[in-house]
Amino acid sequence: MSDPPPKSSVVEKTLQQHLPDLSVTVFGRLRDFEERLAAGPPDAVLSIGPVLRQHGETVSLQGYRSGKNVEPYVLASVNQPLEGSLAGKTIGVVELLGREGTQAFVNDLLQTPNVKIKRVAKIEDLLSLLEFAAADGILLPGSMLRGLMERTRLAIKTKELPGALVGLPAVAVLNPAAREIIVKSFQGLDAPTKQLLGIDSWRVP
Amino acid sequence: MTGGRIFARAVAAPSWAVLVVFLASCATTGSGTDAPAPAPASIVDPPARSGAPTILIAMPSSPTFLEVRKSLVSEVQRSFTVHTFVVGPETTEADLAAAIKTAAPACLVLMNNATMNLYRQYQVANRTAAMPPAILLMASFVEEAQARLRRATGIVYEVPGVTAFVNLRSVKVPGVTAFVNLRSVIRAPISRVGVLYRPAFRKFVARETALAAKEHVELVSMPVPNDVTAPELRDALHDLAQKSKVDAIWMLNDNALVRSPAFVDDAWRAELSEAKLPLIVGVPNLVEPSSPLATLAVVPDHEALGLQAANLLFDLSENDWQVERHPLELPLSVRTFVDLKLVRANFGLRPEALKYIDHALE
Repeated sequence: MSDPPPKSSVVEKTLQQHLPDLSVTVFGRLRDFEERLAAGPPDAVLSIGPVLRQHGETVSLQGYRSGKNVEPYVLASVNQPLEGSLAGKTIGVVELLGREGTQAFVNDLLQTPNVKIKRVAKIEDLLSLLEFAAADGILLPGSMLRGLMERTRLAIKTKELPGALVGLPAVAVLNPAAREIIVKSFQGLDAPTKQLLGIDSWRVP
Repeated sequence: MTGGRIFARAVAAPSWAVLVVFLASCATTGSGTDAPAPAPASIVDPPARSGAPTILIAMPSSPTFLEVRKSLVSEVQRSFTVHTFVVGPETTEADLAAAIKTAAPACLVLMNNATMNLYRQYQVANRTAAMPPAILLMASFVEEAQARLRRATGIVYEVPGVTAFVNLRSVKVPGVTAFVNLRSVIRAPISRVGVLYRPAFRKFVARETALAAKEHVELVSMPVPNDVTAPELRDALHDLAQKSKVDAIWMLNDNALVRSPAFVDDAWRAELSEAKLPLIVGVPNLVEPSSPLATLAVVPDHEALGLQAANLLFDLSENDWQVERHPLELPLSVRTFVDLKLVRANFGLRPEALKYIDHALE
C-alpha cells in the first residue's frame, strides 16, 4: 500500500455510502471516540486490535490483508536505522490509546521499558518530528511507510521489529440483536472500500 | 435504513492509528446511541484531583483558544488539577496575581501575547519570588516573549515553512502516479521557494532556510524595506519569479506585506497572476477560489496543539519542572486549505492529493 492515509471524513463518507443499513460515525481522535462512547454504546465498533482490546471488546469479524490478520510495525529514522539499545531514545508515535496505553503499546512493540514517547495526532505529523529533530525515530505501521517516504526528501531508514505485529481492523459487535445485519453488511463491502480500510477480506473468528 | 449504528476508529491502515468507526444499526433501538452529542465546550474545569499538582491555564475565551484548552485538558485531567483563568481586555496584573495565589500552580499555561504581557508584569512585580514554570502557547513571536520571562518554554505558533513546502508538494505535483514516482526519484517538484521579508524577520528566515534545506528545498530569500510599497513588492516578486526562477512563493505572516486589500491586489495578485506560481500563505482567508490568490494555506491544528502542549507538560513534570532543559518547540501538526480550482488550472492535482487536504475549496 502506498496511498497516504485518508482523512476520517473520507472514511466516514465512503463507509456510509457502502453500508446503507448502518449509521456510521468515524472518529479521527481517541478523545472524541471515548466521549461518544461515554454518551452511549454503539451497536458495533470498528478499529484495530489494540483499541478494541483496550475497551474490552470481542472481535466479531476480523479483517485480513494478504492472508494475515496482523501487520508489522517498523521503526524509522533519518540517515541511519536506530540500532542498539533504544533505552532513553525519543520515539514518535501516533496517539492511539491515551498516554499510558500508548506508552505501554510502544514499550511492548519495541520490547524496551524506558523509551520516551512523543505522541502526535496524525501520521503525517511523525514527519515533522523527524524534520525538526524532535525525535530519534518514529514507530508506524509498515503499510504507512511508503506514503510517508513519498512526502519527504529526508533519508529515511528503517529497522524491522521482530514480533512487532499489530492486529488489522476488526469489527466488534456490542449489540447482539444487530449482529447479523452488521456482519452481513461488512462482508458485502466491495474491494476498494476494504482497501480503504487496509484489508482485503473478512473472516469470522 | 434498517441496520445499526457503528462507531469506527480509523486506527491503522487508512491511519488506523487515529480512526475509530462507531456503527449502529438503524433498526435497533434503546442502544443509547441516539443520545445527543455533548454540548459545545464551555469553560468548566474538571473536578479537582486530590493530591495532584495544579496547572493554571490563563487564556482568552475565544473559540480557537477553547479548542486548544479542550484538547489539553482532556489529556491532563487525570494527572493534574486544572484551573482556568479567563483573560480579557479588562484583566489586570493584580487579577492574574490573585489567580496564581489561589491556585498555587505547579505550572502555568499562558495563551496569547496579552496574557504573557500580564505575566511579565507579575514577574516584574515579584522579582525575588520563585516562579512556577510556564508554557507559552498561541502567541506571535513566542521567542521574544520567552526571552522576557523567567522559567518559560512553549510552542511556536507560526507554522514552519518546511511544513508548508511538504504540503505543497502534496497538492502541486502534476501527472499520473507513475510520473509522480519517477519525478520523486529524479527531481523534486518544489526545489526553490521564494520569500520576501522585512529586516525584523531576518533571523526567522535564516532558521527557516536551514529547516527547508532538510527537505532539499532551497529558500530563496529577498529582503524588502520596512516601508515597502506595492510597486517595490511587485518588483521583488517579479525578480523571484523571473530571475531566481523559484518554483513557488511563500508569503510570511507579516501584516506589513498584506496591509490592505488594495495593496494585495497591486502587489501580490498582479504579479502572481502573471507568473502563475503557487503561493503558500499562513492564513486561510487568502485561499478563495472566487478571487484566486493563494494556492495553499497551512495553519496550526489547534486540537493537535493541545496534545503537543500536554506532552510538554508531562515532560516537564517528569523532569522536576526543569523548564530550562526544554527549548521552544515547533508546531507539529497543521491543517491545510487548498484552492483546488487554481491547482487544477495551473499546476495539476495529484490523484491522491485530496487525502492530504483538510479543506478543499473550489
